Amino acid sequence: MGKPTGFMEYAREPAHQRDPLERIRDWREEHPPYSEETLRTQGARCMDCGVPFCHTGTLIAGMASGCPVNNLIPEWNDLVYRGQWQEAIIRLHKTNNFPEFTGRVCPAPCEGSCTVGISSPPVTIKNIECEIVERAFANGWVKAHLPLARTGKRVVVVGSGPAGLAAAQQLNKAGHWVTVFERADRIGGLLMYGIPNMKLDKKIVERRVRLMVDEGIRFISRTEVGRDFPASRLLSDYDAAVICAGATQARDLKVEGRELAGIHPAMEFLTQSTRSLLDSELKDGRYVSAAGRHVVVIGGGDTGTDCVATAIRQRAKSLVQLEIMPRPPDERAPDNPWPQWPKVYRLDYGQAEAKALWGAEPRQYAVQTKRFLGDERGHVRELELCGIDWLRGEGGTPLGPREIEGTHRAIKADLVLLALGFVGPERSLPNELGLKLDERGNVWTDDEKMTSVPGVFAAGDCVRGQSLVVWAIHEGRRAAKGVDRYLMNGETVLP
Amino acid sequence: MAPIPALLAVASVQHHLLREGTRTRIGIMLETGEPREVHHFALLIGYGASAVNPYLAFETIHDQIRLGMIAGPPEAAEKRYVKALNKGIVKVISKMGISTIQSYHGAQVFEAIGLNQDFIDEYFTWTPTRIGGVGIEVVAREVKMRHDRAFPPKRPIRHKQLGTGGQYQYRHDGEAHLFNPVTIHKLQFACRTGSYALFKEYSRLVDDQARTLCTLRGLMDFKPVPKPVPIEEVEPVEAIVRRFKTGAMSYGSISQEAHEALAIAMNRLGGKSNTGEGGEDPSRYRPLENGDSKNSAIKQVASGRFGVTSDYLVHARELQIKMAQGAKPGEGGQLPGHKVYPWIAKTRHATPGVGLISPPPHHDIYSIEDLAQLIHDLKNANHGARISVKLVAEVGVGTIAAGVAKAHADVVLISGHDGGTGASPLTSIKHAGIPWELGLAETHQVLVMNNLRSRIAVEVDGQLKTGRDVVIGALLGAEEFGFATAPLVVLGCVMMRVCHLNTCPVGVATQDPELRRLFTGDPAHVVNYMRFVAEEVREHMAMLGYRTLDEMVGRSERIEMRRAVDHWKARNLDFSRILFKPTVPKHYGRTCQVPQDHGLDEALDATTLLDLCRPALEARRPVEATLPIRNTNRVVGTMLGSEVTRRFGPEGLPEDTIRLHFKGSAGQSFGAFVPRGMTLVLEGDSNDYIGKGLSGGKIVVYPPAESRFVAEDNIVIGNVAFYGATGGEAYIRGVAGERFCVRNSGVHAVVEGVGDHGCEYMTGGRVVVLGPTGRNFAAGMSGGIAYVLDKDGRFERVCNRELVSLSLLEDEAEIALVRGMVERHVEHTSSSVGVRVLTGWAEALQRFVRIVPNDYRRVLEAQARMRQKGLSPEAAEMAAFEENVHDAMRVGGN
Repeated sequence: MGKPTGFMEYAREPAHQRDPLERIRDWREEHPPYSEETLRTQGARCMDCGVPFCHTGTLIAGMASGCPVNNLIPEWNDLVYRGQWQEAIIRLHKTNNFPEFTGRVCPAPCEGSCTVGISSPPVTIKNIECEIVERAFANGWVKAHLPLARTGKRVVVVGSGPAGLAAAQQLNKAGHWVTVFERADRIGGLLMYGIPNMKLDKKIVERRVRLMVDEGIRFISRTEVGRDFPASRLLSDYDAAVICAGATQARDLKVEGRELAGIHPAMEFLTQSTRSLLDSELKDGRYVSAAGRHVVVIGGGDTGTDCVATAIRQRAKSLVQLEIMPRPPDERAPDNPWPQWPKVYRLDYGQAEAKALWGAEPRQYAVQTKRFLGDERGHVRELELCGIDWLRGEGGTPLGPREIEGTHRAIKADLVLLALGFVGPERSLPNELGLKLDERGNVWTDDEKMTSVPGVFAAGDCVRGQSLVVWAIHEGRRAAKGVDRYLMNGETVLP
Repeated sequence: MAPIPALLAVASVQHHLLREGTRTRIGIMLETGEPREVHHFALLIGYGASAVNPYLAFETIHDQIRLGMIAGPPEAAEKRYVKALNKGIVKVISKMGISTIQSYHGAQVFEAIGLNQDFIDEYFTWTPTRIGGVGIEVVAREVKMRHDRAFPPKRPIRHKQLGTGGQYQYRHDGEAHLFNPVTIHKLQFACRTGSYALFKEYSRLVDDQARTLCTLRGLMDFKPVPKPVPIEEVEPVEAIVRRFKTGAMSYGSISQEAHEALAIAMNRLGGKSNTGEGGEDPSRYRPLENGDSKNSAIKQVASGRFGVTSDYLVHARELQIKMAQGAKPGEGGQLPGHKVYPWIAKTRHATPGVGLISPPPHHDIYSIEDLAQLIHDLKNANHGARISVKLVAEVGVGTIAAGVAKAHADVVLISGHDGGTGASPLTSIKHAGIPWELGLAETHQVLVMNNLRSRIAVEVDGQLKTGRDVVIGALLGAEEFGFATAPLVVLGCVMMRVCHLNTCPVGVATQDPELRRLFTGDPAHVVNYMRFVAEEVREHMAMLGYRTLDEMVGRSERIEMRRAVDHWKARNLDFSRILFKPTVPKHYGRTCQVPQDHGLDEALDATTLLDLCRPALEARRPVEATLPIRNTNRVVGTMLGSEVTRRFGPEGLPEDTIRLHFKGSAGQSFGAFVPRGMTLVLEGDSNDYIGKGLSGGKIVVYPPAESRFVAEDNIVIGNVAFYGATGGEAYIRGVAGERFCVRNSGVHAVVEGVGDHGCEYMTGGRVVVLGPTGRNFAAGMSGGIAYVLDKDGRFERVCNRELVSLSLLEDEAEIALVRGMVERHVEHTSSSVGVRVLTGWAEALQRFVRIVPNDYRRVLEAQARMRQKGLSPEAAEMAAFEENVHDAMRVGGN
């Protein structure tokens, strides 16, 4: 543990961020640094609980409680407290392939279940994780490690998002030859194009991919399995396959006026923006731009926030973010006790920027879009919405939304971004491979992560539905273990 | 090549040499990379190793120094490790009553759980093993598995690291624990929201252990009846919860909020909560306005006798004698000094900031006869209370339970090894005691076979969590059930295991006011828990065809070992000894049906004293009488004293209201627990335990006027006088036996000579010895002050100086106090010794040695300093406590 009395003596240090008005002027991720002493006292707040809720990732009430990859959090908190940074990265890498990603983008269910959090602000586990890995890179402690022996088996991974990357790295460690196919022009999946640069700098992604290349993993980009590479060759050219294609079918909003120009799915918007930024620092203009526009983001989740922040940096004229659910409470509700994920109001980085720019946070809660209205050129100019009441029956059972009379109104909208979530994986590849789907339309797998087709495994959002990066890493690791056992007569060297 | 386990190697060599008859010609030295913890070394020594070189442990220490995790230099760190091991092993052997390592070496004081008889017979000969289990093939296979994990024969992999293991801190891929994040959350949420459905999810997770094999009962199945009883016909929840109790957790180990919540909850249900060994604040005896009661129904009498006053005893419905503690059997309780806050100290009649150690044995129990005496003493002190004896499950507990039954205890509690306070040493948590299934089965079987079962109620505890656990307990012979950890989890405990550090973040196992504020538990939640468990019990009862719990007790034929056991290591377990049902005549009872005959009617109090003192009891009128006394009159005055306390509260009556003059030889426990207002004068002599638990009364002893021996050269009272006394006065004209004033917490006593171990473990009061003492005076003394008249200058040599300092009697106020005590001694006994001391007072002053415990002195000085600064006495006490907590120079207590 840190210090037994640490949680009583030291306060939680909030995450360091640049001033919103300063940071919106660029696309950089940087933040004011943490001193070693600060990090040590933050590590000292950890109590090394006899039952570490942070370490045990389970689903409670449908949401993650504790770390899905079972990070050995109390152990590396203690090592940080003692200034043992090199030991800390070894301990961190034992369970998490990519702490530099989770340390930036994970919502931190570990902190939601931290015991300190029962009555005080929880330990800053996420910051500590990020600092451990960044210091390790800065000190040159993170090196490419070739496996000691090769098995001669070859595995193909379809999709280079966090699930595919985790599976690839683990399989390579076990000694198999791994090839990763990615249909986009760059490696990383949502890590590269779904999350904007100011939240996860693409140099960070490229840094890790380079290490994996040095470790012997082969990446083939701009190649879509099922189109550029026949799906039938997966099992003929390779000994096993892992499908990590993600849940990329976006939810659409089928209302009157949907066909008007200027209404875009969030992923299209974000991908184009990041690609243009990387290709040309946004000078090639090959992206949907929010410059000078009245932007409406429909959807209050993380993707919505990323759209808000991107639109602001593109110099949007005004911005509104619509959320269908009611505003969460400031503190945990009685039916949302610790250690469940706290469903409370949060002001994320994008909303803080909007607030700093325009004086108020951009979200409107409990509203539903009724239709879009266009101008003579067929371009959206207005959006009609109404207020929603969320009814509850006896005993608090949710009954569903109901429109509130007299709350219809129109707002200006000449760029609409749909950030409504994802309903599941695209069907073409699973269909072509003959993979059984479950009742939610996700790829079915058994306990070993093998699909209904022997030798074909699946992991990540295509199995779970839209989920977190950290779950994807968990999935990739599990699938790698399953593949290893499949290839090596039921035995595995993977954890 | 994987090595043979070190313990197996040592034990097999040991037994081979024993069989050959050559063992005494050679020593066994062991060089091994295996042992790390105290228990490992205890095992190795216990099975014959004369010396152990744990080279890997030493290398690990060097490595940790190199990494900067421990301070070097290596030799110093190694020394510290060895010192810690030695201390640990000494603790372990002293738990068994063994004082020298020679006696422990080769003694094999262990029981095996899960090793088969053939394997034991060959390599660990004579070690009890009662449920069968694995043999050498399984051991070998496991060793190879572990070896392969480190040196994979076929596939070398980079960066193999040791797993954390998860023995003490849960890890999801490590040791399975029944209380893990999911079960803890479900249990808390279920009881806080009153959801039985969620509770069933929790109990399903706990009960279904075929894979994780955490308990013996996890491997048992019920044999259902073809036609279950409709659940409406099963006795109701209200009847079942009356059999439930919460375990003994002292006020001091847990917070006031947690302790009171448990009491309120159990009282609402008609069950019972337990004080633990920390005494109880008398304000809790008064019911609250809303009808709730914070009074703990079970009051524990432990070896420290903390807070055991007459008032404490008369407010109990059950008095529990703690012979041992499941979690740390053989050890006494320990409350570190930084947890002895002023309010804790007050309830225990001790000093704030000074650590409290209960001696492992009760100093008035050295045989089963002594236990019978204490049971009788307590029954006299509160004739309405049941007397219960708490034993720990271990091989042979059945025999002890039989003795307990014959000693007239009303209840015997068999406590399993699981659970217990998180503040125990790790060795005790993991490696002491055995599962309650074994202890309970043995106890029930022995009691039934000897036709003792119908005289006594049998209770069981030890990590009971669900209705199924209760049902198994009942089928194996229990009719009452204790829960401790589970209700604490319901009140907010999240198994942090920092109970000993006083940093519990949920305000349960802490005294720190800042942390107690964070307590969010509610008695209603505990009520929910107990009712849910009872409801589950009913469901099982219906399936088993029982309408009442009484019908189920001892019906072990309804249990069978699970047939489809997945685990390769569990296949050869054999539960037949647990499930054995002795064949006995039909009239031998299976449950408690007949009350014990405590013989109260024959007590002198019952036959004579109560009537005699009626005017005092009813109208506070003074009573004086002279009576003969014989050594068959035991516990004289106690029942009368309990009536005084009942009617007049802890303050009793005005001093000397009841004056009884006895002539003759008093039996055991003369004047036990007698309160203020009673003065017992004994003209003659007394057996052991005179003034046990004295609660404010006055006892005077002197030889008969016509005797011709020199009083101060002769022993006039027996051993263990004033054991655990909390207040009052005593004047002994003559010499006392051994352990005079052991665990005294407040009596002012004058005596003319004592045997060995005088004032042992004393925590309060004042003792004046006007003559020589025996050896080892003031051992373990942490409070109070003693004054010894050291005529020949020998005292310094016989005093145990570990916790005390010696000085002269110089302070004016103290001189006046001592003089007053001697004056009263003369007044009550006409002692010539006293007269001589008073006449030559100036000279006597030079010869008095003042014995004061170091911690006590520092705290008193700090309190005086704070008062001088202008603080009120209460604030001064608290300020001194806080200063003391941070004082690095503390000597005793922790």
